[in-house]
This record gives sequence, structure tokens and C-alpha cells, in this order.
Amino acid sequence: MHNNCLLSNIRKLGVAAAVAVSALTMTTSAFAQDAKPYGPDPEEEIRGGNLMVGSLVEPPSLDPFHDGSDGRIRVTTLVYQGLFYEAMSGPVPLLAKSYEVSEDGLTYTFNLREGIKFHTGQDMTAADVKYSYDYIRDPDNGSPGAGDYTTVESIEVVDDYTVVFNLDQPNASLPITLGNKYGAVVPAGTFDDPGARAALNRESVGTGPFKISAFETNSYLELTAFEDYWQEGLPYLDAVTYLFMPNNAALLVALRNERIDFAQLGRPQDSQQLKGVDHLNIQRWESLGQKPLDLDSDYGPLQDVRVRQAIALTVDKEEILQASLGGYGTVIHTIPAAMQDTWGVPVEELEFQTRDVERAKELMAEAGYADGVEMDLTTINGYDWMDPAAVTLREQLSEIGITLNIKRVDLGVWIDNFRNHNMGLTFNDWPTLPDPNMLFFRHFHQRPEGADFRNWNNEEASALLREGRSTSDPEKRKEIYAEFQKILDRTVPTIMLFSADIVTVANDKVHNLYQHPTGWYFGLAKTQLEE
Amino acid sequence: MGSYLVKRLGASLLTAMLSSIAVFLVVRAVPGDVVAQMLGQSGGSGSQAEDALRRFFGLNQPLHIQYLDWLGGVLKGDLGQSWVRGQPVTEVVLKAFTVTLQLGLMTLAFATFLGVPLGLIAGLYEGRRVDTAIQAFNILGLSAPVFWLGLILLIAVSSLFSWSPPLIYRSPFVDLSDNLATLILPILSLGILQAAAYSQFTRQCVVGAFSEDYVRTALAKGLPMRVVFSKHILRNIMISLVTFMGLILIQILGGVVVIESLFSLPGLGRLLITAIEARDYPVVQGALLMVVFSALIVNLLVDMLYHVIDPRVRVDS
Amino acid sequence: MSMQTSPQGQATPTTATMGRSRRVLKRALRFGRREPSFALGLVLTALILSVALFPGLYSQVSPTDIDTTASLQAPSASHWFGTDELGRDIYSRSIHGTRVTLSIVAGSMMISAFFGGLLGVVAGYTGRLTDMMFGRGIDVVLSFPPIILGVIISGVLGPSTTNLVLALSIVYIPSFFRIARSGAISESSRTYVEAARSVGLTGRAILFRHILRNVMPLIMLQYMILFPLVLQIQAALGFLGLGVQPPTPDWGAILEQGKDYILFAPWISLFPGLFIMISALSVTLIGRSLQKRMN
Repeated sequence: MHNNCLLSNIRKLGVAAAVAVSALTMTTSAFAQDAKPYGPDPEEEIRGGNLMVGSLVEPPSLDPFHDGSDGRIRVTTLVYQGLFYEAMSGPVPLLAKSYEVSEDGLTYTFNLREGIKFHTGQDMTAADVKYSYDYIRDPDNGSPGAGDYTTVESIEVVDDYTVVFNLDQPNASLPITLGNKYGAVVPAGTFDDPGARAALNRESVGTGPFKISAFETNSYLELTAFEDYWQEGLPYLDAVTYLFMPNNAALLVALRNERIDFAQLGRPQDSQQLKGVDHLNIQRWESLGQKPLDLDSDYGPLQDVRVRQAIALTVDKEEILQASLGGYGTVIHTIPAAMQDTWGVPVEELEFQTRDVERAKELMAEAGYADGVEMDLTTINGYDWMDPAAVTLREQLSEIGITLNIKRVDLGVWIDNFRNHNMGLTFNDWPTLPDPNMLFFRHFHQRPEGADFRNWNNEEASALLREGRSTSDPEKRKEIYAEFQKILDRTVPTIMLFSADIVTVANDKVHNLYQHPTGWYFGLAKTQLEE
Repeated sequence: MGSYLVKRLGASLLTAMLSSIAVFLVVRAVPGDVVAQMLGQSGGSGSQAEDALRRFFGLNQPLHIQYLDWLGGVLKGDLGQSWVRGQPVTEVVLKAFTVTLQLGLMTLAFATFLGVPLGLIAGLYEGRRVDTAIQAFNILGLSAPVFWLGLILLIAVSSLFSWSPPLIYRSPFVDLSDNLATLILPILSLGILQAAAYSQFTRQCVVGAFSEDYVRTALAKGLPMRVVFSKHILRNIMISLVTFMGLILIQILGGVVVIESLFSLPGLGRLLITAIEARDYPVVQGALLMVVFSALIVNLLVDMLYHVIDPRVRVDS
Repeated sequence: MSMQTSPQGQATPTTATMGRSRRVLKRALRFGRREPSFALGLVLTALILSVALFPGLYSQVSPTDIDTTASLQAPSASHWFGTDELGRDIYSRSIHGTRVTLSIVAGSMMISAFFGGLLGVVAGYTGRLTDMMFGRGIDVVLSFPPIILGVIISGVLGPSTTNLVLALSIVYIPSFFRIARSGAISESSRTYVEAARSVGLTGRAILFRHILRNVMPLIMLQYMILFPLVLQIQAALGFLGLGVQPPTPDWGAILEQGKDYILFAPWISLFPGLFIMISALSVTLIGRSLQKRMN
């Protein structure tokens, strides 16, 4: 099941090879479907239509280089493309055709697909690839993605369709870094014009199956099919229109009255409110997201590891899942559900993941809090699952004498706390990519390489993270990350609670729907709409 | 009257100026800025990327320089660019304002055509059953939370008629029926409160007029009720009714925030909320300035009307 | 709602008090017939006050106890107003929310009445420069739409009930300022004040107090008129997620939470909304009757 390790272990590989090799370790059909960029191919040929998508999240902007919000990533994955596609089984070449890695892991040579056009009409060549990735990795350009490229030393153009990345240390995650999250391949010189950043909200310059045709603040975003798109036959839809709605009630009513054709629900349990509506199909999808309780090691009583351990032993994740998501999700321990089989550690090998209130009480007493203690718990306004979760957690922790004061702040304030390393005790909500380095490094490595907003400052864990990043042997890599997860378990900088299911609701006119586990709208490239 | 208006205008401009400073300082006092929002969870503070973005937005400049820069732009009619989207703020704000203005004017029309007749009837039939019924409507209308009413209307209409408003606001000049379909529920939810307020006010005016000497004299002279009503009462309470109209319009413009959020309308209130969330200072400043100015203009108009209709009005009453 | 429910009806049954209580009852009845809306307002207010002061009399169930096995139940004999997603009793939450919500509204209005009233009287009495300065400051506050001002202030100060009270009081200072100022102006131009001034009476403080006493009723009336509005804004802020922090029950907060379940469990939204309406109604009824009398 270690497809991405296998991938990076193979010296030269194209799509066919990736499928063939990986098929050995996974059920053939599942993998073949998954490894196809944008999901499985449709069975019938249905073309045209404008798909109305309801969305509770409005992207702040559509600039893949400077806007790090998930709301932006979700939609621009249909407009901009990187060299690879983020399949669950590992990175699959997208704008790249194939790649080679040198023996020492320091030189990556990418062979690019030919005949790819930008929305501007130009042909894509290696110079554009070099420009785009040079732009994003230069910290002076202010891209939130810059931190992922610190191992890249230089990028060279060999010929029009070959580009070489030189690294100063091995990075087994380079291909998935070149995916669709931050940055993309855009025409060389795009940002030379000072007005270019603003212009990205009106006109797209990517290579993706859709291009931007209208973006109205607080109203809608319309994407139209790119007629010169390089993948034969894609996309099927003429257009996708995202309608931005500020609340769940409006979204549900609109689905019911066929004002919208498709939506990801903000709260998966809302599907219960739509049960029995004939024209709606409700589907549950696996998710790479995870919702943790983060513990700041510099915050009051949490400075004592025993208090953190006691909290870990007291939390009843199942109950919180029930309360906040109506049970629509999977309880997790040290890694998101979708990665548990591949990278996780069995729960029996973890010390603080099984509920034990008595032991928690002892730990609290040892830490000197036998008589109880008060703490603030921060939640984010608008993250609907957090309030019920907070209230439930409050009840649970009262069993070991902890009194939680719930403080709901707006996202901007929360991010500010985050950036000032002043998180305290808080809920968090993050999506990730199916790669342990992408999952852990940024979050948990000591500063300044990682964000370490939990002030964990764990030397041993950071060493493991560096080792994991530069190791390409899958078995070794798995061992390293297992060791890392055990440290997470022992020292409790975070308590991962659960992965929420993604629930989509679609009108029955919508065909060949596929939801990527990141929550991004990749699948719409192959979605069809019956008139 | 001329000198009064000049004085009034001067005071308004001074207020606008002070408000703009208040706006400027207050939006910056909210923790977190646009740079943090953009970089999100990607790295700690003090990073190179952060400094680069701060420079890009001019956030590294001292506050008074930032303010003067902005003010200079405003005086030239340039509200700057949105930090998040890069669009000219003037354009964004005007677009949102037209939505709010349409909603406001139509709600005002609804409130006037429902509230004033109800108030007149209640006042004429003071103490009778119809008066009690109208008063009950007034008090209930004033007591129901607007957003709650909106939510209940939305659900009721959806379950009764399997219908909900279209989700994209279209200009009335492009597609009138679609435009009206979008606005009907928001107008109802906002309008009931304002109609109740208007009706109550009108009733008070009528009742008050009946106790005035000129009305008593007219009635004592044996003039028919119809004549007294249209010749004396209506003419005399007109000024108050017009003034109140201005008050209501200001209230509506300030009160649309929640309704626009509930019904997904791209108006000024929702723009303000989303811009505050995104810490998009130029947009917040521009939108608030628009709100302040429209309130000032409505106030001025009402004042002028007041003077035109009734020159006796004391300036400082 | 019957008019006969007079609290004095429960006095000790000696003949003397019986007679007195009957007389009181009779008078109350007569009053109710003469001024039905005033009476209704008084009765409702008394009822609401008793709910706010003694919620335990009305509901023995805890408003914060969660029971995930009983989530989203429709109104029934055991849960009169149904339950929310955590299985909390909506009836109990609405009852216990009465004190929370009303004390926030009443408290913040008292603060704005105090400061607005004081500043207004000072401005109206001293006139000139002070008046001009205060006036401009008030205009600035007034130029922000109330909800936006609330949003910004809550953002700046951070989320807590105290800060919500602060935000609401700042929002409504101008309304009291204006009333108090115009009251003070008309009072200070009255003949007795003019007279006192002209004979060189130096008791400025006494005069000031005198004016304040005369302005007080105006402020109280304004308080009642504004009450439903402030209740609306408080609920709206709660609806935007800026109000009272969970798990404390508050009507606006219950509505905010209920909107997510509006199709499935409308009772979560319905009852707190009705509570808001009834409270606003009762204060409005009293305020209007008083206003009529003062005119």
C-alpha cells in the first residue's frame, strides 16, 4: 500500500508504469480510477450545461501564488495546473509526462507534455515552468507556498520540454509539492506587470480545463470550458457557476428547490435534512482533512506534559464526533483516516489514545492540579462543528477538574494568534495531501523551518521529520514516521480527533460525480450534466 | 436658510472627516491583518514573505502617512484598490451600494404604502376595533427580530410553494422579474418592521392633530370630516411624515447587514462584513464612507425639505 | 393572558387583608379595563422578570446538560420545546436564557443611558464649545450602522459577554445623548432657570441637578422605546456569532445555532424568537402607555 514510496523509488516512470507497479499493492480497479487525474472517466458521452454549485466558502481571490486559503485552492484546481496531480496513491504526472531522479536524490529531471496551451493562447514550454516555480520559491514574492521549496537550489531549462530541479538536500516529496495547491505553471513574465495580481481575479492564465469568465464579490464565480484544453474530450460541462451562500439554511433550501445542482455540505449531518427529497443524490466520501485539538506547550497549565497527557486520556472522541458531526466521520489518532493504513501506527502501540479517566486524574494530581484548573478554549466563528465540540469537550474535561472557558473568535483573530505563536488551547481544522512530509513537516518542525505554532519545540521529532523528508526507501520512511507519531502520542502537542466525511448532494441530472478527498473540486473536470 | 444650510453642510463635512479617521483607526484595531490572512497557516511571523507582502500593501508605513495617502486618494475620488481582489474600491462599493439602495428604496416604498394608510386609518378611528387591530400589528411588527422573520419566511415559502429566491442578483434593468424574485423576501422581512414603525408614527401624528385647535375649530364650524382630514390634518402632518421617511431610509440602510447575509445579496452590508473578515481595509473604509455619506445626504435632504415645506421651523429644535 | 393574576392575591387570608386584597384586585381590574395595553404590558413584564430572577421555578432541567442520545427531538411532554443537536432542552435554555439576554440588554442600555444622559445634559446646559465637541463625537459614533459598529467593537475587544455589553452600550450612547441634550436645552431656557441665572445665583450644581431631574423621565422613556431595538441588535450580533460564548444560553445564540437545523428542527429557532418578541412587546406596551400619559 505504499504507492507513493514505490513511485519515488522507481527511477524512470510514466503513467502506465505507475499504474502497473502500484496495481500490485492495491485493488486494481480502485487504483486505476484513483490514479486518473480528476477522477474516473464517464461511461456515457453527455456534453454541455452550466453546473450550478452552491458554496458556503467564497475564495478571497483567485491568485494561486499569493492566496493560501483553502477556499481559493478548491476552485483554482480546475483553472491552474502543476506538474503533478494529487492522487491518493501518490503524485501522478499532469503537465509533466515523466520524470527521473538522480542516484543521490538531488537532481530531478522532468519531461513535459507537449501541445499544452495556456488560457492566453500561448504554448507551454520549459521556460514557463522555470519562471513559475522560481517565482513561487522566492520569498520576496510573498507566496505562502514558498516554504515548501526551501530544498530547491536552482531550476534549469534543458530544452523546450525538459526542465531540471537541483536540490541541496534530498526531498522525497518534491513531486507532490509540484501539485495544484500553491502556485501553478503560468506564462513566463506573468508577474512583471504590477497589475497582474489583481488581473488574475478577472482573467486566468493557467492551463486547466476551465477558465475564469466572471467573478462577482459576494455573489458568484463563473468558469467556462477552455476550448483548447490539452486532455482530449475534457471538460464535459460548458460552464461551472459557484454561488456563494452565507449560511447552511440558504444552501439546503436552494438544493431542495433546484436553484443549485451540486454542493458539498458544510456539515455532513445536514444530509439528514435533505433525506427523502426525490431529486437529490447524497453521497459520502472519504476525506484527508482532520480536526484536532491543538495544545500550546507555552500556555499556562499545558506547559506541563502531564496535563496534556491527562487531556488526551480524557477526551472521548466518539462522543465529540457524534455531537459535532452527527457521527459522519472516523475517529483518528495520530494521522488522518485516509492515511491510517498506509502510514499510521496501530492504536494498541500508542499510550495515550485510549480513554482512561482514572489515570488522567492521577496525572493531574501529579502535576499539582488535583483541585482543578481553568483554561480558555478557542473556537473559530463560522466553523460550525466547533461549538458543539467545545461544549462536549467542556463536559468531558470537567471530569478531571478542568474548567474550560469557551472563546469564539473570528478567523482573522485566530490566524493572528497562530502567527504570533499564541494559540493556547484551540480547535483546528486542516486539509492535507496524502504524504506524511506534507502533513507533518510544516506544522511540527521547530522554527524557523516549520511553523510549530504549538510551541512544541521538539528536537527529536524535528530530526525525524528531516530524516523522513530525505528518505526515499518506503519501509524506512514508514518506520521514521511511525516513530514520529509515537512522540506525538507521548508528548501531546495535538490531539487528532476525527476526519469528517465529505458529503456531497447533487441533483440527479448530475452524472459522473467524483469528490477528491482534499475537498477540492478536481472532479468537476469530468462531471456531466443532463439537460 | 442659506446660511443655515452652509453651517449644516460644514458640520456634516466635519463629521464625515472625523468619521473617516475613526473608520481608519478602528478597522486597524481589529487583530490580524490581510497579510496574515493571505499567508494563513504557512509559516511564522517575521518571515520574509510576510515582510514582502507588508511592503506591497504599504502596511510598513506609519499610520498617519497611510491615512494621508488614503485621504488624498479619496479627495481625488479614488478609494484605492481592494487588497484581496485588486479591483478599484469605488467600483466595488458603488456596485454593492446600488443593490442596497434598491433594497432600501423598495423597502421604504413597501413600508410607506402599507404603514401610512394603516396609521391614518388607526388615527381616524382611534379607540375603535380597527385601531386596536392595527396597533397590535404595529407592536408585533416592531417586536419580531428581522433576521428571524426572514428565516421563517424563507422556510415557509420553501415548504409551501417549493420555491426559493434566485441566487444571483441581477440588475432590474437587465432582468426585472428575476430581480424582483430575488428581492421579494428580503423586502418583506425588512419592510414589516419599518411599516409597523411608520404606521405607529402616522397614527400618533393624526391623533395629535385632532387635539390641535385648528382642527377642533374646523370641526366645530361643521366642516365635513373628509374636508378637515384632507385640507387640514393631512397637510399639517405631511412634514412629519416626510421627515420620518428619511429616518426610516437611514435605518434600513444601516439594518440590511443581517438580511443581506441571510439572503445572499451582494449589498453594502454584506460587503462590509466580508471585508472586515478579510481585513481588506480599503474596502471597509470605502464602504463605511459610502454609508456615512448616504446618511448625511438623506439627513440634508430631509432638512432642506423641511425648510421648503415649513419655513417657520426653528433651526435648533 | 388573563388580567386577574395579581400577585397580591396570595396574601395571608385574614379578614383585613382579604378586604384589602379584594380592593386591590378590584382596582387592578378597573385599571386593566381602562388601560388594557398598559395592564398587559405590566403583567407580561412581571412574568418575564420572574422568569429572569427565578428560572428554577419554571424549569428544573439544566440548560447546559448534554445528552447526545436525545438530540434534535421534536417538542414532547418531556421536552416542551424539543431539544437541540446536543440533546439540550430548548425550553430550559430559553427560560435560562431570559436572564442572560435581558441582563445584557438592560445592563448595556443602563450604561448608555448613564453616559449618554450625562454627556447630553452637560452639552445642552453648557452649550457652545462643549456642546460642539460632544456633538461631533456623537455624530461620528452615529454614522456607523449599529450592527457594523457592534461587529467591529467585538472584533477589537475580543469575545466575551462583558465586551458585548460594552459594544452595545457604545452603540446606543448617541440616542440618549440627543434626548438628554434637547431636554437640557429646553429646561435651561425655562423662566425659573433664566431667573436664577439673572439674579446671579451661583448654585450651578443645584441647577444642574435640577435639570437632570427633569430630564430623567425623558431618558427613561427613551430607554423603553429603545429596548426592543437593542434586543434586536443583541440577537442579531448573536446570530452573527458575536454574542455570548457557549455553552451559556442566550436567545440570539440559540437562534444562531438553530438556523443550521431550520428544515429539520425548526423548534430550536421558533421558541427563542417568540421569547424575544414577547419581551420586546411587553416593554413596548408599557413605554407607549407612559408616553401617552406624559403627552
